[in-house]
Amino acid sequence: MVPGGTGDGTAGGSPVNTARSAPTGTAPAHPPAYVGDDRALLDVAEAIAADWAALGVRGSFLARHLDTREQLGFDIEVPTPLASVVKVPLALVVLDRIEEGGLDPAHPVTVDPGTSSVGPTGLAAFRYPATVAVGDLLALMLSVSDNAAADALLGLVPVADVDARLRAWGCGGIRMRHRMNHLYECAAGAAGNDFSLALELAVRDEGAGRHTIGTLDPAHANAGSAAALVGLLERVWCDGIAGPGATAELRRLMGLQVFTQRLASELRTDTLRWSGKTGTFLHLRHEIGVVEAESGERVAIAALTRAGRRAGLAPDIDLAIGVAGREAFEALRR
Amino acid sequence: MATADESSFSRAADRLGIAQPLLSRRIKTLEEHFGGSLFDRSRRQIATTELGVLLLPYARDVLDRAQRLRQAANSARRSRVRAVGVPADCSPVALARALRAGAEHGITLGIRELPPLERVVGLAEGALGYALVRVPPEGAAHRVPLGLASAPVPGDGGNGAARRTVHLEELRPRRGRAAGPGAPPPVLFLTEDQVPCFEDRLYRAAARAGLPESRIRPAGAGATALAETLAGSALLLCAEPFARQHGARWRPLADRALHRGYDVNAAPGRDRAGAVPDWLTTLLASAVGAAPVRRGGPGPGPAPGDEDVRARPAARG
Repeated sequence: MVPGGTGDGTAGGSPVNTARSAPTGTAPAHPPAYVGDDRALLDVAEAIAADWAALGVRGSFLARHLDTREQLGFDIEVPTPLASVVKVPLALVVLDRIEEGGLDPAHPVTVDPGTSSVGPTGLAAFRYPATVAVGDLLALMLSVSDNAAADALLGLVPVADVDARLRAWGCGGIRMRHRMNHLYECAAGAAGNDFSLALELAVRDEGAGRHTIGTLDPAHANAGSAAALVGLLERVWCDGIAGPGATAELRRLMGLQVFTQRLASELRTDTLRWSGKTGTFLHLRHEIGVVEAESGERVAIAALTRAGRRAGLAPDIDLAIGVAGREAFEALRR
Repeated sequence: MATADESSFSRAADRLGIAQPLLSRRIKTLEEHFGGSLFDRSRRQIATTELGVLLLPYARDVLDRAQRLRQAANSARRSRVRAVGVPADCSPVALARALRAGAEHGITLGIRELPPLERVVGLAEGALGYALVRVPPEGAAHRVPLGLASAPVPGDGGNGAARRTVHLEELRPRRGRAAGPGAPPPVLFLTEDQVPCFEDRLYRAAARAGLPESRIRPAGAGATALAETLAGSALLLCAEPFARQHGARWRPLADRALHRGYDVNAAPGRDRAGAVPDWLTTLLASAVGAAPVRRGGPGPGPAPGDEDVRARPAARG
């Protein structure tokens, strides 16, 4: 288990409970700051934190019912490096620019593997140059988390513009500070092309409070808190941000994500619809999204985790995130 | 003394095995010390002076005492007990053979069961004469297969399918139909395996095999860990003799980089310059349950640096 990294942020006015011991498993080393609108919701939040701690996972979790606005979670104000989760606010800014008429969704962009960003999927995995329209870059970026598509979009809407627009929208809790490839460049700068060494550094630094890999430092990375991300999702799903065309398209594109191992894993039925975006980098395993039931109920969820385990693949951690999402959804749904 | 006996500097120097000028110088020093000549050098044959004759019996006494002191020191050195640091749970029969062999070679051995780090410290500080020292298995002179002990299966004679190697991935909890009730059992390791280099390897291998770190725990006392293992509530990392002796089921770990490696080392002394007698090495290796291995065995895993683009540390998903 990795000590260090703290969070004492709590939602204003929400009850905070740190006195009770965790109901199952190993109690977290530093008790998280819990939020929950009643005792039952607090119990669920504590059970999730204990479940994660038993797997050596630290992080933040927040689930909010978009109609009742009841919520549960813990450490929801802790800024965390977002990895690919930042592609959601990036997409919203690009879609808003399109809706304003400042960018043509049919505008062709040529992505050359010789100069494009590193990644395992989409254009980043291509071996030959490809020309793709802006609208389809967005689809690649959100469906398969294409790093090359994201950085091609940042070629059209610069990083500073995205950050400024987020602040103008009042989303100051989400910071866009660098291109996607900067994650790879920083890791490779510290560890070469050695994934396990980069992972080792990342896990070690969690305890030390300093960051050999700069993009893991929330003060210098693309970063955000669970509270800020759920706030963004709430405004996207309730048309409370950007233009209605932009939010509708973002909701559609987030429904196209192919990865289902995390929050989607326990929310997959024909009666539920999950729209989400994962983020994975070294020991970080995140996902944000919204589950919508046929009954009309909607719950926005953000799960941001940092593992103390030196493993590239950890399906049990992914599953624990999925279990947390389902338990929160069922508790809030009533 | 020799000069007085021989009445000649040259013959006395020959008897003592030193050069004559050196002998002359030493006698001169003595004469200055006692404040008078000990030998009369004026004639062809050397004669002992009156002072010399007077001091002669006292000199003989001092030399005899020095000789006895030397003999006492030698015999004490020969009869000194050489402490040997060994891991817990060695085969008592093999240790007894080592004690007997020591007696035959004129060395009294004292066996001391110690944790691995204390054996290293004992050697360095001279409290131990010899010790079995933990080293990575791929560079070790002796290797002991490490395996997982589990509760005995009724009707299983301890052979057959039970001999299959165990891979750490198999310890992941089962899902679906094969899912068992309750939490998966922890994997315990003994004091003998609480060595930083081994623990790091074990935790890393477990993480890569999809196990959370909390599944792997130091066992503390062997008896408690064994009881939990026999009761079916834990798995115990240990060598085969230890498991068999207590009726547990045992399967070797497939990953040989996680096996125990031993060298037999001697204390870095002035006398024998760190050499361990071959007979002792062989017997200690058999006591710990090892068979000699060729150097350059299996490494700890694939070397980094392959150009698999999926292994590069970029953001994904």
